[in-house]
Amino acid sequence: MSKNSRVPLRLLRFKRFMFTLLGNRMALTGFILLILFSGLALSAPFLTPYHPQGTVVSATFDPPTWLTYFTGSAGWSRNIAFSGVAVNESSGTSVTVTALRSDGADFTATTGGRNGTVTIYETLNYPYDGTPKRFVGNVLVTAPFANTTNSVEGRVEFYRYSAGIVTKNCTYAPFPSGIHNSLPTAPTTGIDSQDQNLVTECQFANTGLNPAQIIFDSPGQYVFALVLSLPATPTTQSISIENFHLVLYGNTWGLLGTDSNGFDVFTQLAYGARLSLLVGLIATGIGIGVGLLVGLLAGYLGKLVDEVLMRFTDMLLVIPSLPLLIVLVAVLGSSIWNIILVLGFLGWMGFARIIRAQVLSLRERPFIEAAKASGAGTGHILTRHIFANIVSLTYVNLALSVPSAIVGEAALSFLGLGDPTVVTWGRMLQLAYGAGATTGNLTWWWVIPPGFAIALISLAFILLGYGLDTIFNPRLRRRM
Amino acid sequence: MVLFVIVINFLIFELLPGTSGAIANLVSTGKITNHATVNALLIKDGFCSGFTAQGQCIPTNVWDQFTSYFRNMLTFQFGVSYQPPNQSIFDEMISSGRLLNTLMLLGASTALSLVIGIFLGVYAAAKRGSLFDSGWVTASLVTFSLPTFFMGLLFILIFTQTLHWFPSGGVVPSNWTIPGQTPSLIGQIIPRLQHLFLPVFTLTLFFYGGHLLLTRATMLESLSEDYIVTARAKGLSERAVLFKHALKNASLPIVTNAALSFGFILSGAIITETIFNWNGLGFWLFQSINFKDYPVMQAMFYIIALCVIAANFIADVIYGVLDPRIKYQ
Repeated sequence: MSKNSRVPLRLLRFKRFMFTLLGNRMALTGFILLILFSGLALSAPFLTPYHPQGTVVSATFDPPTWLTYFTGSAGWSRNIAFSGVAVNESSGTSVTVTALRSDGADFTATTGGRNGTVTIYETLNYPYDGTPKRFVGNVLVTAPFANTTNSVEGRVEFYRYSAGIVTKNCTYAPFPSGIHNSLPTAPTTGIDSQDQNLVTECQFANTGLNPAQIIFDSPGQYVFALVLSLPATPTTQSISIENFHLVLYGNTWGLLGTDSNGFDVFTQLAYGARLSLLVGLIATGIGIGVGLLVGLLAGYLGKLVDEVLMRFTDMLLVIPSLPLLIVLVAVLGSSIWNIILVLGFLGWMGFARIIRAQVLSLRERPFIEAAKASGAGTGHILTRHIFANIVSLTYVNLALSVPSAIVGEAALSFLGLGDPTVVTWGRMLQLAYGAGATTGNLTWWWVIPPGFAIALISLAFILLGYGLDTIFNPRLRRRM
Repeated sequence: MVLFVIVINFLIFELLPGTSGAIANLVSTGKITNHATVNALLIKDGFCSGFTAQGQCIPTNVWDQFTSYFRNMLTFQFGVSYQPPNQSIFDEMISSGRLLNTLMLLGASTALSLVIGIFLGVYAAAKRGSLFDSGWVTASLVTFSLPTFFMGLLFILIFTQTLHWFPSGGVVPSNWTIPGQTPSLIGQIIPRLQHLFLPVFTLTLFFYGGHLLLTRATMLESLSEDYIVTARAKGLSERAVLFKHALKNASLPIVTNAALSFGFILSGAIITETIFNWNGLGFWLFQSINFKDYPVMQAMFYIIALCVIAANFIADVIYGVLDPRIKYQ
């Protein structure tokens, strides 16, 4: 047979195999679930732009936003940002503004006049019924002309408009000693509602309330202003203002809410799918490889080799696997590759026994005798004749033992032995548990998604495994 | 078999670079500052046979290390823990009640899961194909496939945080450690049961499924036997037929499975104890992970492995007792 005619035959076989596989209801369900999870894992960077454990997307412990569609909008808010920068001058100052960036957050203001104030402000129409949980802003002011005697003073003010009346809600001076000629160390000022200085200066100190909730207490028009008081000299002053913005973190966020650090739970779930699949597949691959080797050798060579290998297998089978895993990972160190290796090298025993049993029956068949008679060596018989007859078993076991590897990794992570640098589903559960199981801060949107993900991906592989089993094992196949 | 466990345990802890590193780590992180304690630990762990006048370690060879370790394991002298430093592991295990707590948890959940699993399995088999049957089979498959740590977290979420029915963890209320706050023995019963409920519930829910499915399968086989027809024809009540005739004959694999599943229960107990802060052996293993307390881990691993081997042995013995046809040479 030439090479060209073989390819369509393989394709045809593959097509027929897939057709049988997808005709099996269990295998089909497993296959669909698996594709969903693989899709989630592969497209994680496209699905969410955030880093799983580095981007603070909202306030801490925010429930998912879709909750508001069930409960009504009362009391709920979402993230919203101030926008539309405008500049105002007063008392003998005239300002020329040059934008550095198109969104208006970075610009230089060249002022004519002295001893005046320049006010830079953003407006916001706050639409939500609930108050924000936290606000976080930033501004970087550079005044190259300023020095210790002629410094620029800066303060942040919050206003609200209600029925034509302007109320000042809070004044806060975040630049402790003015803005000096400060390049290259320009003062960057973070404005955070959790900042205790802000709480004190806005006189909310003993209310026990969150400034974000007092300042933005109802829907309406708000203004966030940076007021710069200019020094007497020089007459023309150029001030660069960068990154001027304020974001209000609402009390709901996204698809699956946020965790105790304000990180996105959905991002963690998506990136966790990658690692769980990786751990499951590689560890099972190692396990299947070792199991095949041990099973083939023990079954085919028999005698002393069989005796030694099988006694060793039995002993490893009896030792409870979780404590052994814990002890090994604790001693070896918990990097993700250590975990994969340990899971792999402890997951081959059952498979080796199955393979051995199969090989024991195969090696007595006439075709092996025929191969021996025609002068085939042990290696040739093992790889060409025996292996070809146990490949189907390998697929079935591959599918069936992935769940135990995934659950094993999750259990290790849950016990604090997971790799601290990566996010897996087990680690998500551990973090959720650590953040509040005893203090009553356990949040369902942080616990249920990874838990169900582990259960569902296990289910997917088990269904696929049973489906493959019915296809490969003719005795289990139903008569048409 | 026991020998194999001992050797594996030795290989993991003594030959992998963990233990000596752990002591160095304890010193560098300031958990132990007393030089004499460090030296005592080094001698007790068998790294040094003594110290020179300059404080240099005189290292022991591997064989001496192994023989001293071997003696310790056989006599249950596990040495001392790193955290708290120099405390006898054996004393901590027995006198602080850790062993008792674990046995209490395991005993209660094993008994409950067996009773529930067998009972439901018998009736599921008797009503084969009914809604009762398929419902319980599905339910047990679901609980069987949910990881224990997830189930535990769910129960804390539901029963502790939302319904406030049970405490989230601990063996006894935390204020009992204050002198004078511990109630009388009778007054202790209800709070103790409350604390016991969630861990036992979690473990039971995790394990009844396996018993149910096995009981159902073996019952289906024995219910199709001729002696069941005879028993029914005699006019025996349905309960007598099911439990006295069918279950008795189907009990062999169930009993063996119960003994064999002990190992899995122990593994599940490590996680369950951790979730509910249940002060037992599994929780100790978890705590020792954080402190890199290798002697404790070594001892816990040894004890858990011994329990499993013992359970396997008991299963073999029971097999012979239940079925007189099986003879051991």
